[in-house]
Amino acid sequence: MTSRTLGIGFLTPALVAVFIFFFLPVMLTVVFAFTNMSTSTGITDGDYRIIGDRLRNLSDAGVSQASIDKLEAAGYQITEAGLAALAEQFGEDTADELRDDFLGQSYAKRRDLERVLRSLDDPIRKTRDRKAAADLFAVSIINTRFDTEEEFRAALTSTGIDAGDHDALTRFAYTGWGWTRDNFRLLLELPSTLRYAANTAFYVLCTLSFNILFGLFLAISTFYLPAKLANTFRAIWFLPRILPPVLYVLMWNWFTWDTGFISTVTGWFGVPQQNWMMQTTTRAWTVIILINGFVGASLGMILFSSAIKAIPTSMLYASEVDGANRWQQVRYIILPQLRWPILFMTAYQTLSLLTSFEYILLATDGGPGRATEVWALAAYHTALNNYGGNLQYGLGAAYALVLVVIGIAASALYLRLFNFRELLIKPRIEQ
Amino acid sequence: MTANARIWHLVLVLAACSTPLMIMYVFQVIESVAESDPGSLWPGELDFENWRFLWERIDTARPSIWVATFNTFLFACATAFLVTALSTTAGYALSRLNMPGRPYFLGGLIILHAFPTITLIIAIFIILQFLGLFDSLLGIILVKAALELPFGVWIMKGFYDTVPWEIEMAGVQDGASRVRVWWELVLPQVKPGLAALLIISFLSGWSEFVLPLVLAPGTSAQVLSTYMNAVIQDDTTADFGLFKAIGMFYSIPVIIIYLLFQKQLMNIYGGGTKG
Repeated sequence: MTSRTLGIGFLTPALVAVFIFFFLPVMLTVVFAFTNMSTSTGITDGDYRIIGDRLRNLSDAGVSQASIDKLEAAGYQITEAGLAALAEQFGEDTADELRDDFLGQSYAKRRDLERVLRSLDDPIRKTRDRKAAADLFAVSIINTRFDTEEEFRAALTSTGIDAGDHDALTRFAYTGWGWTRDNFRLLLELPSTLRYAANTAFYVLCTLSFNILFGLFLAISTFYLPAKLANTFRAIWFLPRILPPVLYVLMWNWFTWDTGFISTVTGWFGVPQQNWMMQTTTRAWTVIILINGFVGASLGMILFSSAIKAIPTSMLYASEVDGANRWQQVRYIILPQLRWPILFMTAYQTLSLLTSFEYILLATDGGPGRATEVWALAAYHTALNNYGGNLQYGLGAAYALVLVVIGIAASALYLRLFNFRELLIKPRIEQ
Repeated sequence: MTANARIWHLVLVLAACSTPLMIMYVFQVIESVAESDPGSLWPGELDFENWRFLWERIDTARPSIWVATFNTFLFACATAFLVTALSTTAGYALSRLNMPGRPYFLGGLIILHAFPTITLIIAIFIILQFLGLFDSLLGIILVKAALELPFGVWIMKGFYDTVPWEIEMAGVQDGASRVRVWWELVLPQVKPGLAALLIISFLSGWSEFVLPLVLAPGTSAQVLSTYMNAVIQDDTTADFGLFKAIGMFYSIPVIIIYLLFQKQLMNIYGGGTKG
């Protein structure tokens, strides 16, 4: 087997997975962003139906008043289908009589048809029954469901609606999803968009600075400690990284909620019990940044620690012989060596902070109010989970699309930053 | 470096910074078995009432925790094996096999590796509904495995890159096929990589929260993370003792792996992967 076919064979399973769960979703995010898909339209094809309650919106949809009147006043006609239903409910005799004398007749108002029903030799006596019987002959298409566009248009024609209004009515009656650019218009118009963007920028900036500065502090300070002590501290700070997020945030909840640690301790000094996470916006942000910051700083600590370990000890000894103090050692030897890890950290963390919402969802869920709602969380809330229950996949996809575009652009940029040539060392077995 | 008399300064500052975390850890363990009275932090009497979820249902509408545990185990193991299996072959192909389009695959790998996959969740949600895999364990296993794949391939490629070419050349010289060389000579060399990847993807699957939350919201495919989250959301009295006990139970495998492989884990994460 040549290495060429083997290579393709070895790669195929991974490629299939990547195709279905990366490329397809990226493409579909773009597609969905231009639709009005939501819970009410469903994700497959819809049907055609003019809902009675929405009749008054018809003129906004560009349907002429004449057609609207016609739709509303669409009358009653004696048809075989109606007769069959009548026979079932009110007996064959009534139906037969009606068929013989009135088949094909139409009436504009229900009252007219009711009069006919009363005048039969074998009349329907009760008013309520007559009303029900008359309804069997209604030819109005309001509230009737049509599975295909052809059926719906045929029904419009038979009702006698002006052909010029058919297109507008069809569009109006379609209950499935359709193409639209409204999502982006809405994003530009809504004041919340700016709010979420500002929240996101604030969140990423603060958390990122915390991650890097505190990660640096942890890495450098543990470097100067005796090995045992250093390992203890590293172990403490590594744990948030691998603990399940649900449990990690639960510990923070316990720490900050009104029956929790801070509240209990401050309670001893007479401070009333309160929720130290959700009470004010400032507190919510502080807790959010710390929750994410502790996890991020632990990654920073690990990355920077291994980079510091790679510094030749002779350099550090030499600097000490030359009389450099701790601070100078950090400033002129360690920090310059950390330039790449810091850049790497900044690059990856910016992207992952921009798009991840797990910890915020678990901690404040965007609250209090919408104070800590970041962009990614807004996408989640719009499309996948909200209190209203109507999940707007299309609008959510438009939110997500912004992040997807940023993500692809940034990843492509990192491709440049990384030492890409090195990856391309040619396989050496052939040639 | 040389010992410094003023090092206790540093220790003090570090200890102060670590205090909140230490408090959280300590009370997480203590309060799961000995709840303190309201307004006090001193642990009360030893009491396993909080662990009642192990032998009875804490809520009739909820499945037993053992179902969720089994689901989580299945989910984490299946994703770990899938990721490792696919990464082992794909990593080898990218590292060692001369094939058309290799630079593009490598470039694509880096982009995928950096790309924040969570942004795709809305599209994946709809794709799974089309495929009929929504709200099923199989669905989230496939999604999780696929999303972890770039990371896995990246790690495995790194390990393959360190295997000396001479080993393979010797095998090929002796007349073995590339597949056999890979299976019998190269694979044993990357065993540590396989183990590391298995452990990391198991941990990642075990802790996963957002994917099951969104893609398998029903009770049949509930995993421990969504189970615990549901208990916390539905409880109106903030029964932290119960939450902590469930949390302890949930994190047992994580703690065990952490205690056994702490050094190796730090090395992997320290190698410049986003994890």
